[in-house]
Amino acid sequence: MSSTKQITIRHLLSIKFVLLLFATHYSRSQNQITIDTIDSWISQSRNKKFTLDKRRYILLKSANHVINNNLEVPLKLSTIAYELYNIKDSVNFFKVNNKSLELANNLKDNYAIADSHWNFATYYVNKELNDKAYYHFNKSYNYFLKTNNLNEAAQTLFGMARIRGIYRDYAGSESLNIEVIKLYKTLNDYKRLASSYNHLARLQKDIKEYDKALVYYNKALSYFKKTNARPYGIENNIANIYLKKGNYDKALSYYNIDLKQNITRIHFARVLNNKAYCKLLKGDTIDIKNLFFNSLRIRDSIKNKEGILSSKLNISDYFLFKNDTARAIEFAKEANDLAKELKNGRDYLASLQQLANLQPKQSKKYLDRYIQFNDSLISEERRAQNKFTRIEFETDEHIEQNKQLSQQRIWIFAGSLAILLISTLLYFLRVQKVQNEKLQLEAEQQKANEEVYVLTLKQQAKLEEERVNERNRISAELHDGILGKLFGTRVSLGFLGMQMQPDTQEQHQTFLDELQNIEKEIREVSHRLSENFDDATVNFTTIIEQLLKDKSVIGNFKHNFSHDTNISWKSIDEVTKANVYRIIQESLQNIIKHAKAKSVTLDFGLKNQKLFITISDDGVGFDTKKGKKGIGIKNIKTRVDKLSGSVDFLSKIDHGTTLTIIIPYSPKNAA
Amino acid sequence: MQHKKYNALLIDDHPLIAEAYKSAFKFIENRNEAISFNILTATDCDSACEILNDYANNNDHLEIVFLDMRLPPSKDGTLLSGEDLGLRINDLLPETKIIVSTTFNDNYRVHSILKNLNPEGFLVKNDLTPNELVQAIEEVLEDPPYYSKTVMKLLRNQVSSDLLLDDIDRKILYEISVGTKTKDLPQIVHLSMPAIEKRKRQLRKIFALNSTDDRELILTAKDKGFI
Repeated sequence: MSSTKQITIRHLLSIKFVLLLFATHYSRSQNQITIDTIDSWISQSRNKKFTLDKRRYILLKSANHVINNNLEVPLKLSTIAYELYNIKDSVNFFKVNNKSLELANNLKDNYAIADSHWNFATYYVNKELNDKAYYHFNKSYNYFLKTNNLNEAAQTLFGMARIRGIYRDYAGSESLNIEVIKLYKTLNDYKRLASSYNHLARLQKDIKEYDKALVYYNKALSYFKKTNARPYGIENNIANIYLKKGNYDKALSYYNIDLKQNITRIHFARVLNNKAYCKLLKGDTIDIKNLFFNSLRIRDSIKNKEGILSSKLNISDYFLFKNDTARAIEFAKEANDLAKELKNGRDYLASLQQLANLQPKQSKKYLDRYIQFNDSLISEERRAQNKFTRIEFETDEHIEQNKQLSQQRIWIFAGSLAILLISTLLYFLRVQKVQNEKLQLEAEQQKANEEVYVLTLKQQAKLEEERVNERNRISAELHDGILGKLFGTRVSLGFLGMQMQPDTQEQHQTFLDELQNIEKEIREVSHRLSENFDDATVNFTTIIEQLLKDKSVIGNFKHNFSHDTNISWKSIDEVTKANVYRIIQESLQNIIKHAKAKSVTLDFGLKNQKLFITISDDGVGFDTKKGKKGIGIKNIKTRVDKLSGSVDFLSKIDHGTTLTIIIPYSPKNAA
Repeated sequence: MQHKKYNALLIDDHPLIAEAYKSAFKFIENRNEAISFNILTATDCDSACEILNDYANNNDHLEIVFLDMRLPPSKDGTLLSGEDLGLRINDLLPETKIIVSTTFNDNYRVHSILKNLNPEGFLVKNDLTPNELVQAIEEVLEDPPYYSKTVMKLLRNQVSSDLLLDDIDRKILYEISVGTKTKDLPQIVHLSMPAIEKRKRQLRKIFALNSTDDRELILTAKDKGFI
């Protein structure tokens, strides 16, 4: 019952595949043709008119095509694998499905991963390797949940529920089953709801909760009736419950309903056998031997071993009822062997019990075997139950770990990003700081330079002042002291001479005249010494003039210097003077370096409380609009800006350059 | 001819010079029997003042004073130079004839002395010879004034442009020439800055100067004998 259902589910799914393939079509146009080809091959392989070999050949060709062309379609591979499973080529099924899983894992295609696991689960269910099947169902279920494919998730979960049911983990199975039902209810899938309730009812039957089982079966039946699928014996199941409850008439009526439906042969045999058994229990033995043997025959013909086992056990009961102990033992032994072969614990136990009943002398042997087997069965079930729980738990743990890992990864990423940001920030801050420090240092150095210059200037001014003072002192001394005395002496000598002889007198007069000349010379010297009528201008302008003179020697040009005497250089602060000096120095340097001038004119003017500094040359000039500005011009601009003034370059190629600087004139104590 | 005795005061801080003047007076005495001089000397303002006060108090005549312009100032600070002392003499003894004897030959000072003191004699030591000195004394006594040749030249020079330059112009020129700061000028000449500038422009026009340079202005003014 279970494996046939599995296949139908898979067939339905392949429709979904086609839909999905449409989606992939558009995104992968370059591989479209090959993918179309593969699709057509796969549908060809489903053609049951072809021989199995031919179908296998087509499928393997498709699989090789996908693998060899490195097509990124793991879902195709899993479909091919499934088709291979359908034609019972388990070797190639394994190969292709493994490839599919590998490819899906590489591409992180969760749907395809789930599908491959489902393939494995289906395969193992069929092989009755339930623990492996359970593992794959679980994997598949989790991946389907991830991709939010609820239908598939429900189906795989149902697979898990069924396996748990087989191992009598009723509570586990029931809870899974309820989950399944919830999922199907959201999907409004009546057929699947029917089978889920059917399974749930069977679980209840196994724990002898017959009334509950009936409720569930009826639910299953009502859902089933909303579909128009081929009946698969819910009525039979209901009948079985009534049978267990001892309500044989009701059971028989349900068996009859089921038998009248369009059911499979295998199920027909099952119902037939059940009906016969029911009659046997009721004590109505008429024609039941035929029923039993009819069922067994059908089952034999279709090699339904489980069915045969169940038939043989029932027939053994029948012969026991008929007191034909020999035949009863015969059938019980056959059943026992078959149960052993099929590893059907329940029927094995039943057969052992039967044998023990039938052969009282050997009953101890059978009972011992019974107990031993029962124990081993229970422990196996326990192991299996634990295993399932572990599988689920491990998966949960795995998911949790994944979550933790991804969270960790996020933290690591965020952390490293933050660290990177912070360190970049720190780096930039550091660079900025270093730069600031450098600038500050430069500024300080410049300030120090200027201070040194200012000091020199002051010193020079002081020196100059002292020099002038000294000169004035010498001049005054010459003029007032020495001249006076000389004059007195001369005049006195003159009068003395008047008493001399006329001839000596003449000579005397000559000396007197000479003395007068000397006086005159001394006076002139004295005048020249004191001839400085504006000490203030002398200081700065002489320095500038000296600078101009020095540079003119280096640059080999004539120089011309003029200045407005109204400019009170002494009351202009030293920093301004220092800057003006540097500006002039810089521009003269430029003239020497570039202008090739023959003459340079420097003028200090005063107009509207503004100081005009004009430096013009007759050199080669330059295009003021073109080219990068040199460091010299930049420096001049910086200095002028510092003095909050303006600078203007007027130049034409071959017509010289005129540099005009206008700075505010603000004497310290202007009247 | 009646014998005449003159009182003379020689004020000069150099004894040598006073001695020279004395020689001159003696020379005149020797040459002219009718004249004799009673000569007193002073080397600073204070001692000169004492003598002057004596004359004034005694109602005595002081005929002639040789006055040096550069003298140590008086202790009370009221007399700073020979010029101040001269004014005092004019005050106390209006009859007294003053012969200014100075080494100054800067025109402005000469001009201002002439204007303020109006001395009977003005000698510039530099071009003074014994003969001139004698002549000066004689002329001042008999028929003042007597001016040294330099002073005469100066006066002559000024006549031409006297009408155009007033005292304030001269003062401005003089102050500039001695290195007074432009900003201090308004306080000294009691004029606003623009007014001073205007006068300077006018002066440049008079001297036919193109440059705005003060130095040139001063040099020209000196040439023309205004300072």
